[in-house]
Amino acid sequence: MLLAIFVVMIVSVAIAYSSYYERIIVMQEHRMNVSGPAPINLTSGSPVLGSASAPITIVEFGDYQCEACYHWYHNTRADIIDNYIETGKVNLVFMDLPFLGRDSITAAQATYCADDQGKYWEYHETLYNFQEAIDNGWASKDRLVSFAFNLDMNLDAFNDCMDSSKYAKRVKANYDESQRFGAEATPTFLIISPDGAVKKITSAQPYSVFSQVIEPML
Amino acid sequence: MFSSTAYTILAGVIFFVMLIPLLILSEFIFLEPFFIFHIPYEQSFGFVLILAVSAMSAIVIPMNVYRIRTLQKSTSKIGGGVLGSIIGASAGICSCGPFGFALISTFGAVAGTATAFLSNYEILLRLGSVGILCLVYYTTTKSISSECKIN
Repeated sequence: MLLAIFVVMIVSVAIAYSSYYERIIVMQEHRMNVSGPAPINLTSGSPVLGSASAPITIVEFGDYQCEACYHWYHNTRADIIDNYIETGKVNLVFMDLPFLGRDSITAAQATYCADDQGKYWEYHETLYNFQEAIDNGWASKDRLVSFAFNLDMNLDAFNDCMDSSKYAKRVKANYDESQRFGAEATPTFLIISPDGAVKKITSAQPYSVFSQVIEPML
Repeated sequence: MFSSTAYTILAGVIFFVMLIPLLILSEFIFLEPFFIFHIPYEQSFGFVLILAVSAMSAIVIPMNVYRIRTLQKSTSKIGGGVLGSIIGASAGICSCGPFGFALISTFGAVAGTATAFLSNYEILLRLGSVGILCLVYYTTTKSISSECKIN
């Protein structure tokens, strides 16, 4: 029994690693074939948080059910907002990389339905404040509607938007963009400098790491 | 037994071989863009459990290796130690991390459910793992004391 569990784990790890390795090879080949990475297309992402003319842009690829995204949101984001976004040095765009569960996709779509009513960032914050275990119902359709209710949104418009899957393609476009830039975990951050150079930070790293990457770009 | 240098070295190797990958998988150590070791306050219990799993594995596995090699006893007890270590290590796989992402993109919904389970019950699984390792430690100590008794 123990041997069987061990063998299954080794085989799973080997297959997952080979798939991960293949993707790395494909990305390396892609890099060799292009003179430079095409600029990231942010049009399908969130509204810009901060000044649109800020010299540096942080792109966050995240999943509303991801615990690491939750930790980043609660431990690091506020310092970045205080020191860089509110001072006009940096702006932030959130792009969806919903892969953890079925509710990840609907939660991402719900944020754009909230955006229709001018409440994208309020809804985004609500999701990260109420996050629970993956697919345990905390982001079910009913809960998403109740979050909209708490934000005084027009529920008929919100329900119509959700029922029609109006933003399914937008969320998929975000996912595709994340893969084009090699995001293999959530949260993944791209820090885009004024000259277009991109630095990647993977996972919920502390504020000091962001500061060390951003400061030389200013 | 741990007065023997070989077993002390084996224990040290097992401790670090368990600890470092677990700290990386659980995102306490980051290697890029800079090396950084970071324990968020709300995850400090998870960190303590990783230390406990690594330390218990480093004690239990060499004890059973000693028991098998020196006393020529059956390998059944080492199974419990390895099982406890595997559960503790598996619980460290962060479903949001690159490994979870690779598993989910390769195996789809099944891997999604499995990694969600490992993430959602991470602390309970690690506590279970420490429990199994403590039990194996107790039975192995008892077994070694009785088997080494001079009649």
